[in-house]
Amino acid sequence: MSTTQALLVVLAMALVTYATRAGGIFLVGFVPMSARTENFLRYLAGAVLVALVVPATVRGGPEGYVAVGVAILARLVLRKALPAIALGILAAALWRAYMGAS
Amino acid sequence: MSPASEPHPPGATLTWAGCWRGARAILPVLPPVFMFGIAFGIAARGVGLEGWIAVLMSMAVFAGAAQFAVLDLWTSPVPWLPLLVATFAINARHILLGASLRALCRGLAPWKVYGAMALLSDLNWAALIAAERKGERDLGYLVGGGALMWTTWVSATIIGAVAGGLTLDDVKTYALDLVLVTFFAVTLVGLRRGRVDDLPWLVAGAAAMGAVWFLPPNWHVMVGGLAGGLAGLIRDELKRP
Repeated sequence: MSTTQALLVVLAMALVTYATRAGGIFLVGFVPMSARTENFLRYLAGAVLVALVVPATVRGGPEGYVAVGVAILARLVLRKALPAIALGILAAALWRAYMGAS
Repeated sequence: MSPASEPHPPGATLTWAGCWRGARAILPVLPPVFMFGIAFGIAARGVGLEGWIAVLMSMAVFAGAAQFAVLDLWTSPVPWLPLLVATFAINARHILLGASLRALCRGLAPWKVYGAMALLSDLNWAALIAAERKGERDLGYLVGGGALMWTTWVSATIIGAVAGGLTLDDVKTYALDLVLVTFFAVTLVGLRRGRVDDLPWLVAGAAAMGAVWFLPPNWHVMVGGLAGGLAGLIRDELKRP
């Protein structure tokens, strides 16, 4: 790929990506604000996070389940995010050390 | 929109103090961002990108998954259609993220809103959504977190692409994926309002897995998010007398 082509690709990617970033707030501006819209957008935030977490956890295999399971439990018990993440990763590392690399 | 007709929370703001809070919130996920940035730089050189083009891509695109994906398509002649479709498909989830920030953009000047959205990504969005539940009203939270991630991502690309001598084996990405997913999972716990979220979240998870199994790659966030949001909305509409 020539340098000119490469620059064009980067430019095109940047435009498409920015369009997706700006598109959400732009499009939602056309939807009349109502209790219903607010309700949907509130559910949307949680649902998007779930849709990020579940496939990534499954893809992580046993270590993924251990890390996420321990992190969620720790978050519920300790009520702090950072220690919960650390404990989740630590648990996955221990799992890997004892159960062998998956 | 007349203010009298809607019981608004007070309008959103965008301040330096908010940027600072957002930047601090994103600190724990910077190590994985950094490692993936180095990996991207190395991989880009590996398929023949010039180092400065790889760095320019990280600066202008700032979307790791899409950047890695196009490396597979880095051939001559340029496969324009697959390349743009892949970029759009992988980044389409941003549309949902942006839409969900409506309340946090209310009353802000358009240049501030559309400027802030240039830095929108999953991680700083998740941090902001969690903070919003605790009363955060400052879009600077997104900007501060995003700016720090951008700086990290670009510096790491420079190290990977330009420093040279590194191979992908030097970058152990083990556990880094797990840092990101536990970050999202922990955020999710803070977001939970109670039983009302059970159904939409179950539907979102099932739909996302369904999309992983039955649809082309990268649609799962979009499909799961929309399905879960609609499930919650429809359930509430049916319950309404």
